[in-house]
Order: sequence, then C-alpha cells, then structure tokens
Amino acid sequence: MMGAAQEKAKIELRDVCKTFGSVDVIHSLDLTIEGGEFVVFVGPSGCGKSTLLRMIAGLEDVSSGDIFIAGRDVTDLDPSKRGIAMVFQSYALYPHMSVRQNLAFGLEMAKTPADEIARQVNAAAEILKIGPLLDRRPGQLSGGQRQRVAIGRAIVRKPLAFLFDEPLSNLDAELRVSMRIEISRLHRELGNTMIYVTHDQTEAMTLADRIVVLRDGRIEQVGTPRQVYEDPNNLFVAGFIGSPRMNIVDAVCLAGDRIGVADAVIPLPRPGPAAAPGEAVKLGIRPEHLRLGAPKESALRAHVDFSEYLGSTRYLYCNLQSGESITVEQRDGTDFLSGEEVWLNCDAECLRVFSPSGERLRTGRPERTATA
Amino acid sequence: MSRNHGSSTRRLLEAARYHGFGIAAALLFLAPLVWSVLVSFKPSIEARQPPLPPWPVGGFSVQSYENLAQYGSGIWTYAGNSLAVSAATVAASVLVSLLAGYGFSRFQFPLKNVLFVLIISTVMIPFQSILTPLFLILTKLGLQNTLTGIVLVYVTLQLPFSTFMMRNAFDAVPREIEDAARVDGASVFAVLYRIMLPLVLPGVATVAIFAFLASWNEFLAALILLTDQKKYTLPVLMAAVRSGQFGTIDWGAVQSGVTLMMAPCLALFLLLQRYYIRGLTAGAVK
Ligand SMILES: Nc1ncnc2c1ncn2[C@@H]1O[C@H](COP(=O)(O)OP(=O)(O)O)[C@@H](O)[C@H]1O
Ligand SMILES: [Mg+2]
Repeated sequence: MMGAAQEKAKIELRDVCKTFGSVDVIHSLDLTIEGGEFVVFVGPSGCGKSTLLRMIAGLEDVSSGDIFIAGRDVTDLDPSKRGIAMVFQSYALYPHMSVRQNLAFGLEMAKTPADEIARQVNAAAEILKIGPLLDRRPGQLSGGQRQRVAIGRAIVRKPLAFLFDEPLSNLDAELRVSMRIEISRLHRELGNTMIYVTHDQTEAMTLADRIVVLRDGRIEQVGTPRQVYEDPNNLFVAGFIGSPRMNIVDAVCLAGDRIGVADAVIPLPRPGPAAAPGEAVKLGIRPEHLRLGAPKESALRAHVDFSEYLGSTRYLYCNLQSGESITVEQRDGTDFLSGEEVWLNCDAECLRVFSPSGERLRTGRPERTATA
Repeated sequence: MSRNHGSSTRRLLEAARYHGFGIAAALLFLAPLVWSVLVSFKPSIEARQPPLPPWPVGGFSVQSYENLAQYGSGIWTYAGNSLAVSAATVAASVLVSLLAGYGFSRFQFPLKNVLFVLIISTVMIPFQSILTPLFLILTKLGLQNTLTGIVLVYVTLQLPFSTFMMRNAFDAVPREIEDAARVDGASVFAVLYRIMLPLVLPGVATVAIFAFLASWNEFLAALILLTDQKKYTLPVLMAAVRSGQFGTIDWGAVQSGVTLMMAPCLALFLLLQRYYIRGLTAGAVK
C-alpha cells in the first residue's frame, strides 16, 4: 500500500518509555533515525533492544511517548498499518505455506493483483537466490535458506523501513559473515531505512551507519562506528565496543598533564582532561595501542601471563605491578614466554581517561583519531 | 556362518512375536465389532438364537435393517436427528473453543487464570448430578425437548476439554509467527484465519472428533431431555428398540442399529486419525 512509493522513511522516537508491570524496561528514550540510514542497536542481552524494536513495529504498546515513521504519528497504529517489515531471530516463517506463499502473504494482505505478486516474488527470489526453493516448505530448508526467505519476505513488500532482530544469531559463524555482507549489500541496493538489533559488536561495527549503544533501557551513546570505538562517552561503551576489550586500569592524575599508572608516569595530551592533580581516575587503553619497548619511566612494566598466537596477531595477557591485567595486541611475530618482563608504551593521543564513576573526561581539544 | 544364522533366526522370532502380539490385540478389539456386523445380517429369526456360529448360517439378509427402518417414525428421522445434533455440537464446540483457546493463549486480561481454572474445573462435576437443574433451565428457556437444547448441553459439556485442547494448540505456535503476520499487514482475524487456524488444525480435529463421538453416543441427557419420540437421537432409539415391541427383543434390529451407529464414528476416526494423534501430543514436544 504505502510501500509503493519507496521513500526513505525517517523514524523518530520521542520520550518513549516502556514498562512491563512495574518493571521499567525503556527509560524515556529519544532517537532520530534519518531516512535511508542503517542504524544498529547494540547492547548486552536483556537491555531492551528487542522491546524497542517491537515498539517501533507496533508489536508492543508504548507506555508513554510518541513514535513517528515518515512524519506520521504511528504510536497507536496497528503493526499491519505501519508499512514496515521485520525479520525475526527465529525467522518466523509460516510453516504451512510454501516459500512462494510465504513471500506472497504480505502482498496478498495488501490486496496486490496476482500477476503483480508473482512478479514481485520472482524479483525478490532473484535478488536472494532462492528461486529453486520457491515450492518448498520452510521445514525443508537449511538455516541459511530460511534466513534468506525471511529477508525475502521483508523485501517483497517494499516497506518504508526494515527492522531486524538478531537475524543472524542462529547461523554458524561462516554463514553469519556471508549473510552480514549480503545484508549490507541489500541496504546499498535498496537504500531503505534499516534498524538492526544485535548483541554482536562485530555486526554492529561492520553494518552500521550509526550505532546506538544501549544499556538497561537507556542510550549510552549514539555515533558512527568510528566515534563509538575511538571516542567512547563512558566506560560502558569503551568496554562493550571492541574485541579484545579496552584495557581499563586505575590511575592518578598528576600535575603537568601526566598520569600515574602503577609505577609509570605517562604524559597526557595537552591540555589534559578536566581532572585535578591527585584525583583518581580510570585509564582506558586499547590493546592495539600498546607497543613493546625499552624500559623507561613512561612505560608500563608488566609480566606476560600467557600469550595467544592467532597468525597475523598475537594477544599477550599481562599483569601490571599493581596486579591489574592488561591485554596487548602484538603484530611483529616475536614469541613470548610466560613470566617474561615487558615494557609497554602508548602514545598520549591513544589514552582515554574516565572518572571513577565511568564518565569520560575529555581533553580541551579534539583528540587525534588513533592509528594502529 | 552359524552366528549369522543364529542372529537371523532371532530376528525372525522377534518379528513373529511383535506381529503375533499385534494381530492378537487387533483381533481382540475387532471381534465384537465384526460379531455385531455379522449378526446384523442374520435373518430376524436366526438373530434371536444363541450366537454361535457368529455368521449368518441361513444366508445374508437385510431383514434386520428393514425392521429397524420401520421402527417408530422411521430410522432416517432418528439418524437425521443424531446427525444434526452431532454436526451442530461439533461446529459450536470448534468455534467456541477456537476463539476461547486463542484468547486464553494470546491475550492478557484480568482474572485470566482464575477463569481458565474455573472452566477446566467443571469437568470434576459429575454430569449426572446437574441433569435436574439442566432440565429446569432448559424448560425455563423453552428449549426442553428440542434438539437446540440438547446441542447446548453437549457443547457445554465439551467446553472444558475443548478449550484446554485449543489453548494448548495455540500455545504451541511460536508467538513470532503471529507477530510476523501482523507486521506483514494481516488484521487480527486474518492472522487467526490464514496463519493460526492451519497451524492448530490438529487441535481442531481432536476437538471435533471428541465432540462428535460424545454427542453421537450420548444417552442419558438425550433420554431425559428429549421426551417426544420424534426427537429421539440414535442411542435413545436403540434403547427403545432393545426393549422391544410386545416384550420381545429383536436382536437383529439392535445389532443393525449398532452397526449403523458405529459406521460414522469409524469413518471419522480413520479420516482424521493423523491429526488426532498430533493434536493429542501437541505441546508435548517443542
Ligand atoms: N513481555 C514481557 N513481559 C515482561 N518483561 C519483559 C517482556 N518482554 C521483555 N521483558 C523484559 O524486558 C527486558 C528487555 O528485554 P528484551 O528487549 O528482550 O532484551 P534484549 O532484546 O535486549 O535482549 C528484559 O529484562 C526482559 O526480561
Ligand atoms: Mg532480543
């Protein structure tokens, strides 16, 4: 119906809340998703990603607040009238219908003429390479094929927006990578607004135009993959995005834009973060920003606990003098023995300072985006 | 070689035991049915004699069926009554339990569980104990001695089981399938009709079979609530036939009646048994 004009729908959430009984699941959330944007909701499981998506789809009532799709207030509109398509984690294909009927169902509901339906279904089958499967039942398909059919069912309707709820989490690792690329290609070709929910930060980083990091029903940060990775707003985002995780160690701010970590004193970019000398802070360093070097005052002394060889890289799991553990990503192929002493250097620009409560303490000027 | 021989003998013995037991059990269950059918084809005089051998010695005869057909206002009246009552009971049970089961499975409303337990708990009340109040209520409603009245009673009696059955059937359908259909643009009724109904069909078949068998065979309520001979259903008719005209019992007519009553039940069961088994085990396995 409204899908005919393939507009790029802007989606707006205004002050949206959701409570289940007495439990607040979504807390007063504001978000604007531009038309044609690929937005990924990422967060640990149970943080309310699915609930939020289901609210946009209309499958879950909104406790308070408003939702707009393509400028229209859809807050109280039935899911069938919102003009969006959704792909579910369990695929949710209609088991009693053939693949062809599964694809056609949405069009039939929209009272599309039969010849038009046949054309659309064939076109979608073409795009997703499921032509030979059209007369099978979902029960006769593999997981990856079911996933394609589920996506096909979404695209035939030419919806205003696509919603994906962890669509790849039931697939094996290899298939997940290829489907991820395919979804990315689909977005490029169709250009629709897409919202994609995942707890997998690799999917989030690779697919998203913008990432929305959620925790306990609140937005922790919204930004491009680069922004959330390199310029996290707080410890949660810093720890959640990136694998292996960002190293977080206790530190003390010192006079002269320096920071004391364990027994090392490391210079900070100038002007330093808004913290008084002597103040205890948390210091975040990505594993790939730590370099091994000669002993000196500004280097962290650590002992290798064990090391993992991954071919192109090696992860060293080390212990600082203070007993804190720290992970180092190493690319030069040297071997390390357990218990070996190493000295770790890090550029000032790569240090991220957080308050003890987890808020980011930014420096006065914009930081250089770090390079490996 | 000898080991091979031994194992194949063992397999043969096992198969023989397995099939032997199956055949014996089948015979045990089939014998009374076959006996009834055979007796129903004996001539009236012979049917009255001691039942050995069970088959008609004096040649097959449809005399018993002719006698039965003549009885009262004619067998077709009663068969028609029974069919009408059963069909209406099946239709009403399926419709009510389908909607009730969907509601109990998918919607949240106050006192939902209390209501459900209340409906289920009515199976614990012996039906005989409420016959008198039922009779009085139907009389008040002007439905006593009507087929509509008896249908209402049967549907009520079937309701706990049917509702329970359908709720389980709906519970076994993943919620996301329904969500997908709603997002696909289907209205609540389109979801129920196009998506849910085909998926709960085994449950519907089970409810239908139970409703049919129960209403087709029910005797006591029909005997008490139907007073006009023209309104009798087959079980009541059979009792009347058995008690006989002028004190004699026409066993041939009774057996032909039994055969007649048995036929639709068997046909229905054989037709729907696949669904029926699946319906009974629905929800047992994910
Ligand atoms: N229908 C519901 N009733 C009650 N609580 C629910 C319901 N659905 C989800 N929740 C709760 O809301 C929270 C968020 O759930 P969900 O959105 O599914 O998380 P996610 O998809 O991020 O893993 C969870 O704590 C979950 O227990
Ligand atoms: Mg979820």
